[in-house]
Amino acid sequence: MQKSRSLAFAFVAPALLVLAAILGWPLVSAVLLSLQDVRTIGSQGQWVGFTNYSTVISNPMFWTSVGMSIVWVVANAALQTVLALMAALTLNQNFPGVKIARTWIILTWIVPTVVVVIIWRWLFSTSGGMINPLMMQTGIVSRPVGFFSTPWTAMATLIFINSWRWFPFIALMMLAGLTRIPADLYEAARIDGANGWKRFTRITWPLLAPTLGVLTVVGTLLSFNVFDIIWLLTAGGPAGGTRTLPVMIYETAFKGYKLSEAATISVLATMLLMAFALVATRWLAKEGDSR
Amino acid sequence: MKKRILGLLAGASMLMPLSAFAAPVEITLWHMEQPPHRVARIQEIIDAFNTAHPDIVVKQEPQNWGEVYAKAPAALSAGAGPDMLFAIPDFTPILKNIGALTSVADFVAELDKKHDFVDSTVQSYSYDGGVWAVPLYNMAMSLWYRKSVLDGAGLKVPETWADWKAAAEKLSVDGTYGIGVPANKQLYTDQTIYSVMVNGGATEIYNEDGTLRFNNPQTVAALDYYAQLQKLSPPDSTSWTWGEAEACFVSKSCGMIMQFSVISSYDTQGGGDPADLGVAPIPHADGEKDHNTIAYANAVMLLSKDEAKRKASEEFIRYLLEPETYGKFLNMEPGLFMPVTADGAKAESFWGDPMATKYKAQIEQIIANSQNGRLFGFTSGRTFPSIAAISAQNVIAETLQSIVVGGKSAADAVAGGQDRMVEVSK
Amino acid sequence: MKRSLPATLLLGLSGLFLLLLIGMPFWWVVTGSFKLPQEIIARVPTMVPHSFTLQHFAKLLSGSDYPVYMINSLLVAGISTAITLVLSVPAAYAFFRLAFPGREALYRIILLAYAFPSIVVLIPLFGMFARIGLIDTLAALVIINVTFALPFSIWMLRSFFASVPKEIEEAALMDGAPPTVILRRIMIPLIAPGIASVGIFAFISAWTEYVFASVLILSDAKRTVPVGFSGIIGQYQIDWGLLLSGASLAVLPVVILFALVGRWFVSGLTEGAVK
Repeated sequence: MQKSRSLAFAFVAPALLVLAAILGWPLVSAVLLSLQDVRTIGSQGQWVGFTNYSTVISNPMFWTSVGMSIVWVVANAALQTVLALMAALTLNQNFPGVKIARTWIILTWIVPTVVVVIIWRWLFSTSGGMINPLMMQTGIVSRPVGFFSTPWTAMATLIFINSWRWFPFIALMMLAGLTRIPADLYEAARIDGANGWKRFTRITWPLLAPTLGVLTVVGTLLSFNVFDIIWLLTAGGPAGGTRTLPVMIYETAFKGYKLSEAATISVLATMLLMAFALVATRWLAKEGDSR
Repeated sequence: MKKRILGLLAGASMLMPLSAFAAPVEITLWHMEQPPHRVARIQEIIDAFNTAHPDIVVKQEPQNWGEVYAKAPAALSAGAGPDMLFAIPDFTPILKNIGALTSVADFVAELDKKHDFVDSTVQSYSYDGGVWAVPLYNMAMSLWYRKSVLDGAGLKVPETWADWKAAAEKLSVDGTYGIGVPANKQLYTDQTIYSVMVNGGATEIYNEDGTLRFNNPQTVAALDYYAQLQKLSPPDSTSWTWGEAEACFVSKSCGMIMQFSVISSYDTQGGGDPADLGVAPIPHADGEKDHNTIAYANAVMLLSKDEAKRKASEEFIRYLLEPETYGKFLNMEPGLFMPVTADGAKAESFWGDPMATKYKAQIEQIIANSQNGRLFGFTSGRTFPSIAAISAQNVIAETLQSIVVGGKSAADAVAGGQDRMVEVSK
Repeated sequence: MKRSLPATLLLGLSGLFLLLLIGMPFWWVVTGSFKLPQEIIARVPTMVPHSFTLQHFAKLLSGSDYPVYMINSLLVAGISTAITLVLSVPAAYAFFRLAFPGREALYRIILLAYAFPSIVVLIPLFGMFARIGLIDTLAALVIINVTFALPFSIWMLRSFFASVPKEIEEAALMDGAPPTVILRRIMIPLIAPGIASVGIFAFISAWTEYVFASVLILSDAKRTVPVGFSGIIGQYQIDWGLLLSGASLAVLPVVILFALVGRWFVSGLTEGAVK
């Protein structure tokens, strides 16, 4: 027993050490930074206690950003789930070329985000872009649309682009869940005369739900942290309409030269996410036990 | 075998003292001129310099504008920064603030005696009792149009704001936009707005004591006017940077744009008929007499604390500003970078370039426009550290956005803009 | 097993929708990279190119160090993948099978590492890496990529281990095999497809990482593809032809890689250990 215990530590320790060094220590120093008044990297600061926290919490822009992050996360989760579920159900069927489709659906995910950004910036632009002429030809609109010109369309466009990149990945994870549903269940249901919709609501959905739960939690955490797509496409604009928390952190630190304030926002954002993750993992663990 | 080793040893012993004696000084240059052809041109110049100066090795590391704001201060404080950095005036206060800069007044005076700097370019870096960088290349905003398009609509080149708006309205026909002005929260928008502001008497954003005077009737009028122009622009102009505006003009979707230079893309993508490409000063408000514009005097900042590296950097800058090399350097992007020295403006190396010859008329006009160039936050010696945050966070552009996106009145937006400036200056 | 007509129609429609959604942008980008500049920015865009040129690719390859960026990216992604697997396979097995105090708490903490806004650690990490001389090295990127891939990898591998039928492991235990041998001889071969898909996940994450690579790497010779690519987005001019050719080339290596190992990824995910 003693031996297996030390072996277990030998197995776990390297991974834990890496995580502690690269994530743990920076978190501690972010907390320390948030209690000072450092402006640019490399300059010295004074200890100021919780001043930064009261500044940030009383800044309406911070709460707007919190709200944006929530909108961002929820809308991404919703759109990705819908698209991914549709893709997973499609790929779970048998049709010619399904093998190829299962492999290459992932194409959008293996492209570097910077490239994703350029692709869509080009496609949505009014000079040379493909989307506007297409929409005008098919009569959806009569004049070119500025996809990034109002806060709401910009947010919606960004959510679309981010979901476009991630949904195939989620779809494959769902497909993994789908393939584990025993085929004889469907067979039995068919014999009982259940139609397609019934089979979906009675078998597919309940058995897929745990997988969906896990994916939603993981996806939420992943999409909360998305920074580069937003920053490179709108930099948080127009008129602050897409300034999620990571964007605000970056902007405060590197454009506003208020490093300590940025660290404060970081700490608050981390606490927010940790709380969510804690609740979610506990809930998932419970779900797992009851299975 | 033994002989060879001996020979090697002898060779090594001969080389050792020599190399120890003349170990070349290595200096690193960072710049944000990242497009491949610009990097290639700078490399040619560096290679020539390195060959002529065996005791110095210059190395370039092109950086990205989007990243450098985070990277340069971080790298400098970590001791991994460059020895020379090509940048714009906005950048100087940041680096000065972390103690990375020392005054180069004497060096600039020496170069001025030899080449005669355009005064406004040195001014952008002169404050707080020092000169903080050596001007290298200038960029000034102008109004670009196609002569055939204006003629076709029976229009003259606009002189005043009233002319300008009328022209933009008349050119807005049949799927084209009379004008393309950006409304993004980004540097390009800061630049075009300020170009309109200086033509409406709203030059200064600071009072002499460092308090802000952004909120004044001239600014309000300028932003109100700009917002009217923006209505005539393509709907995605709220996300434009320089490139989109240029593409709009070159593809004939936009009748007029404000830009530093469109020459190289016009030449490769827009037909390239020099006789049809028009460039004019930015129109002024109806009560004003002179045309003004925004001008960016790019400069090199010397960041090394090491005496030998500093000397080597100075040597490289001397070499760059020599008329024989200077024109070659400026023409890394033909028609974009204008000389900052009197002898550079006459240099054969500048005008001898095939593109400079082809678009001579346009380039002469840009140089003329740049004479009245100003830069917000760097006017009349009224430069204060907070300009770094104001410009990095694009508060001017943000103010415009609250009009064209947020639907505020110009007066409310400008008042809000000043509040925001005060806040980011804290 | 015959499908009804409406079901076939529905399947066809959703298949077509997905094909267009994913395929169209790539079609436009790749064909665009072969168009003449005038055609790329033409007011009425063309679906099928009317012109053909290689000038954008020529300009890209002659004017930038794209091949160097490729090699750097492959190095970083390859080494990150190897280290991620070496660290995460034993850890996942320990979390799955071995008993030790604090197992559940530690496992949950690892999952919490997900909750970390990565942007938070950028600033402190820069200082930390500067002190130990890791700025401007590919090693720094490897460390970062491993760190961010670990939690997900451990989590996924653990569920793969869990899908191995218990009897197989018990039989080996009865024979008196120690855990190291069970892991190496029995478990790893059994969940090989799962390990492959985790490896591909780690590889792609490293391949696409941008924020850290852009700040931690200072010199051109050490840039990865995403950072090198962002470099050709000019400040004052956008050369769409150059960007589209750059985008096509940035996608090419991973497409080749995926053509070779892609089916492993999918089968690894969907089949796991269930044999």
